[in-house]
Amino acid sequence: MGGPGIILVCVFTPLLGAFLLPFLGRISTVLRNMAALVFVLVSFVTSAILLPSALANNPVLFHWSLPLGFSFGFLADGLAVFMAMISSFVAAIIVFYSFGYMLNYKHKNEYYLMVTLFIGAMMGLVYSTNLLFIYVFWEISAICCWRLIGFFREKMMVLRADKAFLVTVGGALVMLIGFMGIYSQTGTFDLLEMNHPLLPNWVMITILFGILSKSATLPLHTWLPDAGVAPSPVTSLLHAAVLVKIGVYIYARFFLVNFSVPEVWHTVVPIIAAVSALVSAGAAIVENDIKRIIAYSTVSQLAFIFLGLSCGVVQGIAGGLLYIFMHSLAKGGLFLTAGIIEHSTHTKDIRQMGGLVRTLPATAIAFACCAFSVMGIPPFGGFFSKYMVINGALLLGNPWLAGVFLLGALMTVIYLARVFVRVFFGPTTHPHIQEGTWEMVGSVTMLAALSLLFGIFINLPASFVTVILQNLGMLGR
Amino acid sequence: MLNILSQLIAGGNNHTNLIYIMLALPAILGLVVILLPVKGYGGRSVAFIGALVINALAALGLLLGENFSMRFPWVHLGDFSIQFSLRVYNFSAFILIAIAAIALLIGIYTVVFMRGKSHYGSFYCFFLLNLALANGAALANNLIVLLFFWAGLLVTLFAMIAIGNRNNVSAAVKALIISAVADLLLILGIAITVWQSGGKMMMDEIMPLPLTGLNNVGFVLMMLGALGKAGAIPFHSWIPDAAKDAPLPFMAMMPGALEKLLGIYLAVRVARDFYALEPGSGMSMFIMIIGVVTIILAVGMAMIQKDMKRLLSFHAISQVGYMVLGIGTALPVGIVGALFHMLNNAIYKSALFLSAGAVERSCGTTDLKQISGLRRVMPITAIGFTIAALSISGVPPFNGFFSKELIFDAALESGLVFYILALLGAFMTAASFLKLGHAAFFGPLKWPHIEESNNPNPRETPAAMYVPLLILAAFCLVFGLGNVIPLAGIQSILGDFMAGHDYSGWPHSMSLVLISLAVLIFAVLNHLFGKLRTGQAVKALDHIHYAPGLHQVYNVAEKGYLDPYEWLMFAIKAYAKLCFAIDRAIDWIYNVLLVKLISVLSKGLAHLNNGHSTRYMAWVFVGMLFVLLALILYL
Repeated sequence: MGGPGIILVCVFTPLLGAFLLPFLGRISTVLRNMAALVFVLVSFVTSAILLPSALANNPVLFHWSLPLGFSFGFLADGLAVFMAMISSFVAAIIVFYSFGYMLNYKHKNEYYLMVTLFIGAMMGLVYSTNLLFIYVFWEISAICCWRLIGFFREKMMVLRADKAFLVTVGGALVMLIGFMGIYSQTGTFDLLEMNHPLLPNWVMITILFGILSKSATLPLHTWLPDAGVAPSPVTSLLHAAVLVKIGVYIYARFFLVNFSVPEVWHTVVPIIAAVSALVSAGAAIVENDIKRIIAYSTVSQLAFIFLGLSCGVVQGIAGGLLYIFMHSLAKGGLFLTAGIIEHSTHTKDIRQMGGLVRTLPATAIAFACCAFSVMGIPPFGGFFSKYMVINGALLLGNPWLAGVFLLGALMTVIYLARVFVRVFFGPTTHPHIQEGTWEMVGSVTMLAALSLLFGIFINLPASFVTVILQNLGMLGR
Repeated sequence: MLNILSQLIAGGNNHTNLIYIMLALPAILGLVVILLPVKGYGGRSVAFIGALVINALAALGLLLGENFSMRFPWVHLGDFSIQFSLRVYNFSAFILIAIAAIALLIGIYTVVFMRGKSHYGSFYCFFLLNLALANGAALANNLIVLLFFWAGLLVTLFAMIAIGNRNNVSAAVKALIISAVADLLLILGIAITVWQSGGKMMMDEIMPLPLTGLNNVGFVLMMLGALGKAGAIPFHSWIPDAAKDAPLPFMAMMPGALEKLLGIYLAVRVARDFYALEPGSGMSMFIMIIGVVTIILAVGMAMIQKDMKRLLSFHAISQVGYMVLGIGTALPVGIVGALFHMLNNAIYKSALFLSAGAVERSCGTTDLKQISGLRRVMPITAIGFTIAALSISGVPPFNGFFSKELIFDAALESGLVFYILALLGAFMTAASFLKLGHAAFFGPLKWPHIEESNNPNPRETPAAMYVPLLILAAFCLVFGLGNVIPLAGIQSILGDFMAGHDYSGWPHSMSLVLISLAVLIFAVLNHLFGKLRTGQAVKALDHIHYAPGLHQVYNVAEKGYLDPYEWLMFAIKAYAKLCFAIDRAIDWIYNVLLVKLISVLSKGLAHLNNGHSTRYMAWVFVGMLFVLLALILYL
């Protein structure tokens, strides 16, 4: 079912449709909002249509060859569909949430344009088979990110948007040099024409530079906590659920599928990840701004994903992919609940909050579910991914590394428990505030419920991941 | 319901349905109780008790039915597949029936205790969810499934404590973090165990691994995980804090009974089924040391407490020490003693907590300085309390006496010093219960007079509160005099290991019994001495509390300086500050250093392009030099 055209629909509906939104917004705000949601849902539905053939290891391919190793193509293999479905699904929930959250802000046309454009870029990046187009979509996402972080237009916010832009674009430019290195080695930018070349170390370093800057890993991470000045749905979309996953996705795409790397990187990347996990978790314990805490938590959890993907053990890789899924749901939910809290209390400082469980009970429950999932406590889904990743570190023959990540997991429990308790328990600070709008509460409830359901019915995402790995030839059928 | 009854009556062989009932029914009814708009207390309470009754019937059905296990593929992830496997055999059925019976009794009590309190619905909900998870943990036959249910208890643990006092949930956070540490150790322990046994996860397929090399690490981590659940030192310090804030049925249920049942169950399985713990080995010594340290330190703290709930919570810790000591010996008599003591402790400790709840309900306080002589107004509670106190003190013919004697026997065989410390613990236990019982229930009647109170006189509690207490007290006697009943079951659990041993009936070594009795008599004399010295029962142990040397130690301990949790948090906070500084330093590179470097660089460049024609002439000259150089080199 579905030919190559489906991929084009999936990518270009949000990518081009985004530019229609400002015009629609002049006609009717409801129409514009609905159109934005529909464009994102189109990506989700078309990705779902691509799923059966991807699982059957008969991926849909759209491909134009151009001379000199240039090409333009999209490939919907299991990994790409997996990532596309997660991204577009969480994005759809976040757009829905924005209907409530953005109600009283200006420049909504720009907002929905940028969000939808970002999703289009994400789809393009996920499906692209060509290094240059990966780079192009990568930079489109950076531009959207820049505009959305500085959305409220205060000087400090614009400066932080600039910082995020400069760090991620700087990383991408360094990565581009690496792409040229690959071109000089293989004579093509087309991933499909490459036959698992062994990358030299310098190329690996440049690509890692790009990946780590996008996926906010130490020492290229500080733009992420600063980016919390953005509207909360944006923070959730870009800095928890989707954008920061670009780095890990590209890591998986390049180093699990297309390229081989020298063995030493199976040790170096986990160590970078370990340092990143521990330092950012420590910073999260000290921080008092709720969105910065969750952002540090994202840095820390991304390190777990890197650990899983880079350890070179199948169980760890499976855990890393599962982690992408569980973390997108739970962390997206955490940022959205933080948005409700911020919206209601008009502060982000957890020292000025307390007892909100009395006024925001639904938000409190959703926050708790998402937090337990991020902590890795069953029956929430985060448990399995965390276990598999730590198990992967152990099977790498390195109990110490597993121990370090367990310490990271303990600190996760501590900082999330601290936020939860500070915000929702203790003496009531805001006795007369309102729960968020039904769109907002509905969105977070859904993410929380999914974190729980996919913990119990863990087999669904786990089987998906297994088929991906089978198609990659990492497992016997 | 009919299905269960018909199965029970028919005595069918395979009770797979009962397993599903035990997992799903409490969970579903728990959610129903909180989610459905069942207005009012009656409907919710009926659903709550109904779930507990059906759970108990199902557990009974499993105990009477035959052993079986079921499995189906649950998770298939990469080359890693988890069978959702549950196994009913004499050990798991034994744990299940103990959990179910105690949950039912405490549940009945809870319905009255929580009446009129806010959030009773949430408490019912988490109580039932907790029960479902505990059932799952006891039934699990796959290490990952075990972990799934086991670590899930963190959620209900946190929630049930937090319900007690929403203004200050620090006790709940402390419980969550300490238990999370134990569970994380267990996670790594299980991962190592699975790895070392060649990828086997099924608990009935793993052959006991010898304690060598990395296996030692796996053993210690799994053991710490199990003992952490049971509340042994250093995982204990949340229990006294929770005693202050958590609803009392929680204390009776979790630290009092259920966590001990699960923790000791897993500890025995680790020492017997997953690893081969040998008597006299270094690991055996390690576990025994944890045991005696737990006994002595916790009971030492219990002696000086002046609040009934807090005093009992320290005993909830110290009694684990006996079980750990018994398991650590790795001798048949020690392990039988540990399991028997686990069962007995669950019975008398929940009874003791329930009587504390009765006192709290009647008098509004459990502060021993404000109450006394309550047997005159609460005679039934006093009887229940007294029987449970005699049991925990190890007075024959109550159940605690018999299990303690078995552990003494094993301790003596493993080393005189362990035996002496265990005896010291018994002395201190008896002394603190003499003080507690005497102060609260005997002597002249006294209770705190609260002005304008509607209910000025303390009264006996309703039957729904004292009947569970009396049933538990009755079991203290039945399992003492008729110790053959539980011991036959326990000995069958251990199978071949018990060949040629039978520990039921009167303790085998009369001389050990005489020594224990002498210790008890000494405790009584000590109590009389303290009472005469100060004139007040509540101060009967002050001569120990304020003894030179001990006094200072107690002061430090009461301030929390000896709390491992405080050390951990201190270390984590210091570490976090360091990380924050590192993070800020990295941020400084972006925010300041790079900006400065670039501005210096661009100013330098600007200086080279200042608009004067002489400067550009110089540029042209330099350029020509380069061209010349190139020409010379290439031509």
